[in-house]
Amino acid sequence: MNLGIESRMGAQLERYMDLATDQTKLTATNMANIDTPGYKTMGMDFEVEMGKAISQIDSKQSASRTSLTKVDGLITRPDGNNVSMDRESLNMAEAQLKFRTGVALMRLENQKILSAIHASDK
Amino acid sequence: MNLFGMMSTSGDAMAAERMRAEVVAANMANAETTHTVSGEPYRRQHVVFAANQNQSTSFLDSMTTASGVQGNTGTSMALPALGSGTSTAPGVHIAAVVEDTGSPLKRYDPGHPDADAEGYVSYPDINPLTEMVDLMGATRAYGLNGSAVQAEKSMITSALELAKS
Repeated sequence: MNLGIESRMGAQLERYMDLATDQTKLTATNMANIDTPGYKTMGMDFEVEMGKAISQIDSKQSASRTSLTKVDGLITRPDGNNVSMDRESLNMAEAQLKFRTGVALMRLENQKILSAIHASDK
Repeated sequence: MNLFGMMSTSGDAMAAERMRAEVVAANMANAETTHTVSGEPYRRQHVVFAANQNQSTSFLDSMTTASGVQGNTGTSMALPALGSGTSTAPGVHIAAVVEDTGSPLKRYDPGHPDADAEGYVSYPDINPLTEMVDLMGATRAYGLNGSAVQAEKSMITSALELAKS
């Protein structure tokens, strides 16, 4: 049953928060492997993924997997590992803020619907 | 893997880094150990870390099932889909603790009970500086993963805010 309370904005925010989670996950994985010989930093392109997600929502497709790439341009240490502590810390902070933004906007979205539900109470 | 799965990734890393610090502590404690159970002098130990997921296989495996988006480097990889079974968290584990194969240091001390026929005692080749640097690396990485856990905790807390009106 479709109550018609799922908005486009809500669906987009859901994907936005999923992607922020993916980015945190990826950063956590990179951080975990900071001393693994031969490990290469993995990254994702948030903007491209978000663009994909929006077009998938509009065409009613299910969400695809987040594609990952090996990050270029990092300094490789003698053991073949190229994880940068600073890059990962920054990414972690960024992903966290994105997630919090998503939560804040999602709350607003829910409040809008809730105020519509309670409109008849007054 | 969900939000809590990330914490296990970071948790794995913290456990691995702590193990590394323990091994460093054992090395420093045994810097002057000339006699172990086997009768040999102590040998320096070091840990070898390995990623839980093999980057060249697992990530590429999931690529074949991904939606065919090519990455910058020509190879495209994907995170396992949310809630896709119970695959291991892509964290880190200790693959092995290996012994240093370097030859022991010889010091002339004929009165020592472990001295050989020529009066030389074999001491483990442990450099306190190397060990301290390793310990600092372990501490920093432990802290880094600890702050990742903090970040994940605050994400989960803020997601719970959604349930409050």
